Amino acid sequence: MEHTLVFLPLFGSILSGFFGRYIGDRNSEIITSLLVSISALLSFVIFKEVILNNYENNLVIINWINSGMLDVNWSIKIDAVSSVMLVVVCLVSSLVHIYSIGYMSNDPHKTRFMAYLSLFTFSMLVLVTSDNFLQLFFGWEGVGLCSYFLIGFWFKKDSANAAAIKAFLVNRVGDFGFAIGIFLIFYLFGSVNYDEVFSKVPEFLNKEISFLFITVNAVDLICILLFIGAMGKSAQFFLHTWLPDAMEGPTPVSALIHAATMVTAGVFLVVRCSPIFEYSPLALNIVVIVGFVTAFFAATVAIVQNDIKKIIAYSTCSQLGYMFFAAGVGAYNVAMFHLFTHAFFKALLFLGSGSVIHSFKDEQDIRNMGGVWKKLPYTWVLMIIGTLALTGFPFLSGYYSKDAIIEFAYLKNSGLGIFAAYLGIFTAFLTAIYSWRLIFKTFHGTYKNKDIKIETMHESPYIMLLPLMVLSIGSIFAGFVFKDLLIGHDSAEYFWTDSIKFIIPLSTDHPPYWIIYLTPILVVLAIPISYYIFVKNKNITIWLANENKPLYNFLLNKWYFDEFYDYIFVRPSKKIGFFLWQYVDIKIIDKFGPDGISNLIKKLSDKAVKLQSGYIYQYAFIILLGFSALLTYLIVL
Amino acid sequence: MIAHTIFFYTFSLIAILSSIMVIASKNTVHSAFFLILDFISISCLFIMIGAEFLGMIMLIVYVGAVAVLFLFVVMMLNVAQQKNEWFKSSSGYSHMPIGLLIGLVILIELIIVIGGWKYKPDLLSVTSITVNENITNTHSIGNVLYTDYIHLFQLSGMILLVAMIGAIVLTFEKRSGIKKQSYIKQISREKNEGVELIDVPNKQGIKIDD
Amino acid sequence: MISINLGHYLTLSSIIFTIGVIGIFLNRKNVIVILMSIELILLAVNINLVSFSIFLNDIGGQIFTLFILTVAAAEASIGLAIIVVYYRNSNTINVEEIKSLKG
Repeated sequence: MEHTLVFLPLFGSILSGFFGRYIGDRNSEIITSLLVSISALLSFVIFKEVILNNYENNLVIINWINSGMLDVNWSIKIDAVSSVMLVVVCLVSSLVHIYSIGYMSNDPHKTRFMAYLSLFTFSMLVLVTSDNFLQLFFGWEGVGLCSYFLIGFWFKKDSANAAAIKAFLVNRVGDFGFAIGIFLIFYLFGSVNYDEVFSKVPEFLNKEISFLFITVNAVDLICILLFIGAMGKSAQFFLHTWLPDAMEGPTPVSALIHAATMVTAGVFLVVRCSPIFEYSPLALNIVVIVGFVTAFFAATVAIVQNDIKKIIAYSTCSQLGYMFFAAGVGAYNVAMFHLFTHAFFKALLFLGSGSVIHSFKDEQDIRNMGGVWKKLPYTWVLMIIGTLALTGFPFLSGYYSKDAIIEFAYLKNSGLGIFAAYLGIFTAFLTAIYSWRLIFKTFHGTYKNKDIKIETMHESPYIMLLPLMVLSIGSIFAGFVFKDLLIGHDSAEYFWTDSIKFIIPLSTDHPPYWIIYLTPILVVLAIPISYYIFVKNKNITIWLANENKPLYNFLLNKWYFDEFYDYIFVRPSKKIGFFLWQYVDIKIIDKFGPDGISNLIKKLSDKAVKLQSGYIYQYAFIILLGFSALLTYLIVL
Repeated sequence: MIAHTIFFYTFSLIAILSSIMVIASKNTVHSAFFLILDFISISCLFIMIGAEFLGMIMLIVYVGAVAVLFLFVVMMLNVAQQKNEWFKSSSGYSHMPIGLLIGLVILIELIIVIGGWKYKPDLLSVTSITVNENITNTHSIGNVLYTDYIHLFQLSGMILLVAMIGAIVLTFEKRSGIKKQSYIKQISREKNEGVELIDVPNKQGIKIDD
Repeated sequence: MISINLGHYLTLSSIIFTIGVIGIFLNRKNVIVILMSIELILLAVNINLVSFSIFLNDIGGQIFTLFILTVAAAEASIGLAIIVVYYRNSNTINVEEIKSLKG
């Protein structure tokens, strides 16, 4: 069953990718969606098994490398953490496949799109079900590659190509750190299989190694390097620049990759390696700091963005920061829970925005929308459900997960934890503001679009609305239904068992009541505040923007990160590349290599041509010259 | 002995001078004449030394045939009118020094060979020419030529035949515009191509080309 | 110097040989002189052979000289035929005009 689950998407991808031309567009769409949906159903079955019977398994498919100390298998490991991820990945992927049938109905390359989506699903499944770091890295790279394919899907657009390369390169920086981390793990522990590594960590706690001329604690270093990989993949603070640009891809891609699956691979990595992270307080603190800085940064930028998909992208970045700082304070299960609920409502928001874009004929700027809530009722309701879940409106799913994060941060009782909790509350307020800003500017107010008449606006087809409805059910109920199972007091014993390691068990206290109530109150208050600011009295925003022009520009330009990186990294790299090309490559290597030798041969042959003058007496002369030389030689000897 | 010496030096001097003049003379006809003089002096030398058959043959063949052939061609090609400068080429006299140098080198080496002959030092001390009174040169050549060297003899006949045919083939030129009878063509004419009936259009001629 | 021996004849032969060789590449006038130089070379070889045959009392040298004579005559005739045909085509026998082998 597990084998079927993992390999069905691969089979669908190959079928649609290589044979899509022969079996037709509609057939390949249906087949791939069907295969991934079967995987989703199987994932539910496995999840039920894990919940009810604590099912755990590690199926070896085939032995990959067996060389010296390195013994690596292709395997499928099912335990609590991976089963949660399986549900998330397969469910969202199947819904995105079905949604894409409707969204990409006008696109000529449907089969290629479906193939890439299924291939991505397969890579993510390989990543999630691995039992060693090498297979994880394989899946890691696989999802990076598929995200490159999918972001640059409309490859005729220059901006899409640039965005795809940017995503791949920034991910590569993270992967570099990750790879060094894996090497270090192998060097220290002699194996890359999870079981062996995790059981040996306590023995190496005080080992120090020298790395780039400084000596650091080995376990700290491993965790930091692994976290760098997670930063790249999950778009955390320094390696986040690729995420907004990745919105160049089609909206289903954004929903699948940048809401539910690929970006959560980083969180999965940290949770999976909790046995190592638990022994390194330094690394955990770094994770917390990076997490809440990211959350805060992304929320501040999202307030002033004007592209609907970029707002949701920054929202993803911010929520990932939440997940990381939950993991950093030791509450890994809460991070997984937030990942689980976030997948639902973020995918819902992305797909809903895709529906809006589809209705507005590919218009993405929210300043050109407005007042269509009566024309697109289903989309409007579903987006509102998603927004309520995202902001943590009481009793929807986001409320349980997000508030749990803030509670556990506060309960950690370190300075960092408390600061993180306050910042988390403030960021939740900002999240509410910008999410409602998006809703109000898109659906309320006056209709601002100049190209399309409001009478011609119509709802999206049912095939696009159906996945949205399924996701909305998840957004509403997933929190309440699963909260006891995943983050309840006994969850560590009953559900997570060995898959997450808690050195210090999570505290079961309640934080003071004002913390518990502060966040929901702020969130609920944010609705009328944002309604007032963005719909009723727009002058406030205009006045704010004008008064704080530098701050506004700073936020609008994403804290000038792109310009900063361009100045520091891109331009010097281009200069070095140019120098190496012009001077080293052309002048030195080519001159003495191919060009030089060919020129030399040409010159020599030009001279040699002059020997053949065509005058016979010259030829005779040379014969006699040779004759006299021979005579001399014979006489002298 | 003295006579031998005097005659030898005379004839050899004439030979050397005339050979220099062969290559150095401005007029090509003069070159041919000097070549004839060269041949004659050398054949006199041969007669003096005792190989009279060869000397006579040289006179007959070389002078009488080859040199006359040269003269024929020289006259035919009208080169006598070309007043060329002595050894001047299109790039001046620059080729002279190096050529003369190489010639000198070859000469010196050849003489060194003669002078320092290591293998048979008693060779050069042969001063006398033994002349057999009983048998003439012609007789002695004839003794050997038709018995031991008969194959070479026939071969040389073949060579001459081939040369003759070759010369004719090379210069044979069928002149156009001459009507000649070719009996082969006449005999091998077919009936159906003997006569041809042509409808001549009114007031227009027809071109007959044979 | 007084008594003529084989060496003198050989010296004579080499001098004539050298003069013939020089004549081939020093002349820039016309092609017929080249042929004449070749005849000179052959003549020098003849002298060489005959003198050896006389001084060593071996008749083979003179036989070979006969053959050389034959071949020289054949070759001279063919060479002249070629020159005649060449003159027909290019109307000049200047040595410097023959350079179609130029690479």
